[in-house]
Amino acid sequence: MLAISIEALVKIALLMGGLMTGAAYFVLLERWIAAWVQDRKGPNRVGIPLTKIKLFGLGQPLADGLKFIFKEEATPGHVDKILFTLAPISILSAALAIFAVIPFGSVLPASFSEMIPGLDHQVELLVAPGIDIGMIYIFALSSIAVYGVILGGWASNNKYSLLGGLRSSAQLIAYELPMGLAIVGVVLTAGSLRLEDVIGLQASTGTWNAFAQPIGFLVFVVAAFAEAARLPFDLPEAEQELIGGYHTEYAGMRLIVYLIAEFLHMITASFLIVILFLGGWHFWGITGSENANITWFEAIARIVVLNIKIFGVIVFFMMIRWSWPRVRFDQLMSLAWKVMLPLGIVNLVAVATIVEYQKSLEGKLGGPWGVTAAMWGVSLLAWIAAGVLAPLHSDNSAQKDSFVLSAEARNRGVRPGVTTSI
Amino acid sequence: MQATDPNVKWIEEPKLGLAGKMYIPAVIGGLATTTKHLFSKKMTVSFPEERPEIGNPLIYRGVHRLNKDDQGRVKCVACFLCATACPAHCIDIIAAPSPWPDRDKYCESFAIDELRCIFCGMCEEACPVDAIELTSLFDLTGRSREEMIFDKEKLLSVYDMTKDAEPMKSKSLGGAP
Amino acid sequence: MGIVLVDGIEVEVGDNERINGIEAAERAGIDVPHYCWHPGLSVVASCRMCLVEQGTKDPATGKITMLPKVVPACQTPAKDGTVFVTNSDKVAQCRAQVEEALLIDHPIDCPICDKAGECRLQDYHFAHGQDERRADIRPFHSKKREMGETVSLFVDRCVMCTRCVRFTREITGTSELLVINRGSHEEIDVFPGFPLDNKMSGNVVDLCPVGALGDKDFMYSQRVWFMKSHDGICTGCSTGCNISTEENQDRVYRLRPRENMAVNKWWMCDEGRYGYHHVHAEDRLVGPRRKDASGKHAIVEWNTVTAEIKTKLKAAGPLAAVLSPHLTLEEAYLLIKFIRGIDPNAVLALGPVPTIGADETFPNGFTIHAEKSPNRRGIEMLLSHFGGKTLSFEDLTAEIDRGAVRAAWVSGGYKKSDWVSEATAAKFAKLDLLVVQDMFVSPLWNVATYQLPGGSFAERDGSYVNFNGRLQSAKWAIRPPVGAWVEGQLYQRLLERPGLFQGRKVLTELAQEIPAFHLAIGEVPSTGLDLTINQIAQQPTTAATV
Repeated sequence: MLAISIEALVKIALLMGGLMTGAAYFVLLERWIAAWVQDRKGPNRVGIPLTKIKLFGLGQPLADGLKFIFKEEATPGHVDKILFTLAPISILSAALAIFAVIPFGSVLPASFSEMIPGLDHQVELLVAPGIDIGMIYIFALSSIAVYGVILGGWASNNKYSLLGGLRSSAQLIAYELPMGLAIVGVVLTAGSLRLEDVIGLQASTGTWNAFAQPIGFLVFVVAAFAEAARLPFDLPEAEQELIGGYHTEYAGMRLIVYLIAEFLHMITASFLIVILFLGGWHFWGITGSENANITWFEAIARIVVLNIKIFGVIVFFMMIRWSWPRVRFDQLMSLAWKVMLPLGIVNLVAVATIVEYQKSLEGKLGGPWGVTAAMWGVSLLAWIAAGVLAPLHSDNSAQKDSFVLSAEARNRGVRPGVTTSI
Repeated sequence: MQATDPNVKWIEEPKLGLAGKMYIPAVIGGLATTTKHLFSKKMTVSFPEERPEIGNPLIYRGVHRLNKDDQGRVKCVACFLCATACPAHCIDIIAAPSPWPDRDKYCESFAIDELRCIFCGMCEEACPVDAIELTSLFDLTGRSREEMIFDKEKLLSVYDMTKDAEPMKSKSLGGAP
Repeated sequence: MGIVLVDGIEVEVGDNERINGIEAAERAGIDVPHYCWHPGLSVVASCRMCLVEQGTKDPATGKITMLPKVVPACQTPAKDGTVFVTNSDKVAQCRAQVEEALLIDHPIDCPICDKAGECRLQDYHFAHGQDERRADIRPFHSKKREMGETVSLFVDRCVMCTRCVRFTREITGTSELLVINRGSHEEIDVFPGFPLDNKMSGNVVDLCPVGALGDKDFMYSQRVWFMKSHDGICTGCSTGCNISTEENQDRVYRLRPRENMAVNKWWMCDEGRYGYHHVHAEDRLVGPRRKDASGKHAIVEWNTVTAEIKTKLKAAGPLAAVLSPHLTLEEAYLLIKFIRGIDPNAVLALGPVPTIGADETFPNGFTIHAEKSPNRRGIEMLLSHFGGKTLSFEDLTAEIDRGAVRAAWVSGGYKKSDWVSEATAAKFAKLDLLVVQDMFVSPLWNVATYQLPGGSFAERDGSYVNFNGRLQSAKWAIRPPVGAWVEGQLYQRLLERPGLFQGRKVLTELAQEIPAFHLAIGEVPSTGLDLTINQIAQQPTTAATV
């Protein structure tokens, strides 16, 4: 019992330390990528304190953290003080608690357990192994993020904060549906809500879910961007419109808690994308497939592969930020309800059908590759249908007709350039 | 301008093709552009060690200077046109009858709040005698707000500092040929 | 009644009216440019800027016959049947040529000319001149010559309209200025040894349509476009000339006369014009002070003063208030309300009215009064309304000497500190409580228990009644210096009325309460209200004359 507790504590410590450091250094990475994309050099000054060693600016996160810690903890007079403090705490604790069920590797070889007295099982690189409702747990906790945001916006007693909070609540609720539908597709194929099982299935078949369910993958990625409130869906913050959105009134430690939570959302989203759709720790040929007699090389390779994949997805997140402008709120909503939700349903139905008739279909379509090809066909058709039929794009150009008013319209007091039709 | 004005040209937005409606090609195109810039040559420099190259000092808008005429007197005639043109209201002039026979009016005091200044160059445009000019000195620093209010002596000393590197701009009004 | 046609617009002209083409065009809303013509001066038609086409309409046939040449509108009478055309190509060409001729030997030193921004030469050149100057550009310098203590002449800038010469001949009758030389050598000048030194000399600067005559007081101190103009009333004497107070960022730079045919026409005297310097004097008082037990004055907060002064006055016993003739009607009214609110039997007195010399009248009727305060008559009217015990300042002093009054509120606001003598101050020193409001240290100030710095004329908002019973309103132009409170605002606070003091609001209240001011219930026109029309029946008996 003691060993298990220590094992869990060690894993929690590792995860917390890794996540916090990771979040700090991802901030630096974000700033670097932002700079490089804009042809700037980026932060490259801060190195080891009190020396002239610069280390490409790797000391920057430390300096940033210190700055936030020593900043004045200003609380405006007009805020609801309890909720104002509770909001960032709730969002950060929810964001961290999600990682209880997210594997950050696979398992360690049995030889490791033998070295440690009291350990009678293989160490799984997961804080809470064996939780059967892993995905539901993730879903539940990620929904709590809405509370953090909307409470912060409400407690700030500031119209920009409130607008940010309202936008955020609408956005997060809207994108939870397509996200859920995409996850259900994965759950159906895996037959389990445990993330380890999802990875295990992908590793054993060698077919990542992204290949098997392209449309589900797409829906999930888009929804993950929206859930993490990353560009092009960062409407809750939208500094050009809302100053800082829901955290306008925050400063110092409470602000950094919010910012860390935001980065954790992105990291969570990356973990989920990798685990659910990109094979987790699996890579053909080097990661093996059996957990029981895993070698040290394979165990480490799995950790490395998983982390490289996550790093890649995070870089993708950051690159998308500078490649796409922010969408308008109506576009955001129509994308969720008119495009992503139907596509998610199409994916679910297709997966369900294939899972139900898997045995007989495999015979007809010629093995697992045939099934994948069928999924791709369905996906392509659905995507083209969505592109042609649904308002993926909207016409924003100035319409001459709306500017040139008839005399009658002018008499009615209609202003040019304002669409009057409802 | 009315929307019906013949000078207004209405342009039809190009219609999106199938690829455009599919979005994915556009996303890949955007990512390709950002990726290209990720590795391209950087425009910024590591400032104190490297200094940026100023393309044309004649059109650069840095710290102001007050020009002197060939007798070493301030050229400014205290017409207040720079102060009038200044959108940031950072120029403060006190005029007085000039001590010289060939001029009626000169500036007894001339102060520019460099912290308030937005370096738009309107003062230079407005000046009828080319007395105020913007130099290519850009890295001005100070330890207090008071220090950053440049008075007449300081502005004249900027002229002494920069006159060799950057001659007066207008030839007809006494600038270098 | 006659009909004059200006560019096809019919203008009515009264039978006994004698107006010229410029005035007729003005009635039609058409501006005829002119330099030399001025409604207050004789017509010389020398600048030729107002050239228009003129003709007559035959009343019988309705046929219009135009003169082949252009005529100066300023000396062409507008009678029934006269036709003016001001918008033809011919007229436009004439204006452009006149403008070009005037600019041939003009230095065009607008950047250093104080007139720039309000210069007719500039305005007309933009409106009517040619795009290009065909004359050679001349050196950037203007010959300067002193005309007297107050005015400098920039010879090159002059367009020889001779308005200034006619002013000294026709309005002041002093004839200092004259035209020397002939032809293109013409210049304005004075005789050697006879400088321009009459008491209205500043007006020639306003009259000058270009920058030739410069006011030495205003010279180079501010560009005109930075200044904001506020309608005011001169407080230099009881004439009550209408003025514009021109200020920038709470600093008055000049006063200029405002046209009011019933009072000052277009003019004001130099004493009033240059009499604003006390507003920004170094020794102007700021920060209220209170005398402590040791007899020393220490600065206190205004809020402290307003909080405690009422109870202190109440405790002090029989009360008196001295209403300065520099107070506006509204301020005096509020002060009476405040004092009588504390002690219904309080003694009211008119403050000393400074008088210097005798009234001085110029040939055109403009008078500089000896009484150097703006509102003696208005205060007297208020005193006669409120009645009770009203005394003259001397009687009040005697009363205080006897010990019948234990506390007094004295409002000052005088431009100089010599309005009260040491002897009078010594008598006031016997009071238990003395509140003095003033702008400068006076003997009375030194013995006061409360020393309250007050506002100047440029900071006051309110109305004055001039020597012949005309009520005129002035707007505040600048904010008082930090630490000084304008009287109106102080009384507003003491009476615990909410908000800021607004002269117009108090005037309405006052006019509704006091029959003599009933006329002012409605709007006070910019030219003022003649209150005497209302007072034929009830002649006020004043405190000072009792």
